[in-house]
Amino acid sequence: MDCATCEAMVDVYLDGEMSAADCAAFERALERCPECRRRLDEARALSALLRELPAEPAPDLLRARIDRELRSIAGRSRRLSATLPPRTSLRWTAMAASLIVAASLGWLGGSLSTQGSRDADELVAGYLRVASSEHPVDVVSSDRHTVKPWFAGKIDYSPPVHDLTSDGFPLLGGRVDIFDGRKVAVLVYRHNQHKVALTLWPAGSGNGVPAHIEQRDGFVLAQWRQAGFELRAVSDIEPAEMTAFTKAVDRSLGGGG
Amino acid sequence: MSDALEPDGDTVERFRTVMLPHLDAVYGFARWLTRDPVRAQDVAQEAMLRALRYFHAFRGGEARPWLLRIVRNTWHDARKRRDAEQPLEVVENEAAEGPTPEQSAIAGDRRRHVAAALAALPAEAREVLVLREIEDLTYKEIAAVLDLPIGTVMSRLARAREKLAGDLRSRLGRRDHGLRDL
Repeated sequence: MDCATCEAMVDVYLDGEMSAADCAAFERALERCPECRRRLDEARALSALLRELPAEPAPDLLRARIDRELRSIAGRSRRLSATLPPRTSLRWTAMAASLIVAASLGWLGGSLSTQGSRDADELVAGYLRVASSEHPVDVVSSDRHTVKPWFAGKIDYSPPVHDLTSDGFPLLGGRVDIFDGRKVAVLVYRHNQHKVALTLWPAGSGNGVPAHIEQRDGFVLAQWRQAGFELRAVSDIEPAEMTAFTKAVDRSLGGGG
Repeated sequence: MSDALEPDGDTVERFRTVMLPHLDAVYGFARWLTRDPVRAQDVAQEAMLRALRYFHAFRGGEARPWLLRIVRNTWHDARKRRDAEQPLEVVENEAAEGPTPEQSAIAGDRRRHVAAALAALPAEAREVLVLREIEDLTYKEIAAVLDLPIGTVMSRLARAREKLAGDLRSRLGRRDHGLRDL
């Protein structure tokens, strides 16, 4: 085996595409050829760099959308059998089934979606992480004096934390999530059998904006600004209950209501 | 591929069992092709629904390469649609994006540079490298996904590796060192 061949075979050898006989011949040739050894080391190093890149799993919202499409397709032909796909809990499937997506194959709906609806998608996905997870919060405590310090060092601001049990929304705890590319605090409250996820971060401008409540994909979303914070709440409670929740939050922040 | 069929409930259930476990790979590949998390979700969703319609044509064997081929075709069609909607010079001048926020959150400069260099490669080089190094497919599987002869896969892969190694050296300012020193 001369060196030109040796050079051409580095990739094939490294990719595990070489026969055992050729491998032996290649390894013998390597011993006599420092240049080819250098090439092989470089190729190995490059491959290792690529293989250490962290994989990004499919987002929850994508999983939920596909799940819903599959259900509607199966439902068109007959009632769905009760078997569930692997890695899917019953509760999660019930949640995902209530997500509504564009009736098209999703491409058009996706590419035409506005920033506002992308934000809402992101918030709903965050709520699903809370509502469908066995561990909806990273810090489990109804004590604001436990929850508030927990955020220190995890995010770059200090969120106001209040237990709202007297208003019918006991605090379950808090977690950190990513919204719009930044780390944000999420406070999780309970209301009867439902959970409410409250995401909040410091507002750019100071004026309060009253709560705007909309229903989307079977969830109710509230968006408002109060006491210097942007607030976003998502839940599967009734819109009237969400209004009560926003007022309770406002009172705790010393604002209106 | 044969014609698409309207799947029945049994087909959907089998599809869930066989194909849904590969959703992470589908999204990951779409993410490297589109270089955009929102477009990647759209491509992944459309690819999965196409895969369901063609599932009757799946003859067993490896599910992942079969799915990844559909992902790539879906992305190509989506690009054609976008190109048809945009003036040509916009499409041609579409610069490679820098690292995305979540890629920036990757610990360590080195990984960030590697991710950015891979994202900046032309599509032809990017897809073959991702299939080989990240999806770990064999030459034969890559040839099936890209619909190319194996010899072409090998020469593209060699060129892509050479280009990425050169780009990484200039990004990291180590022209006189090997990649082992990174």
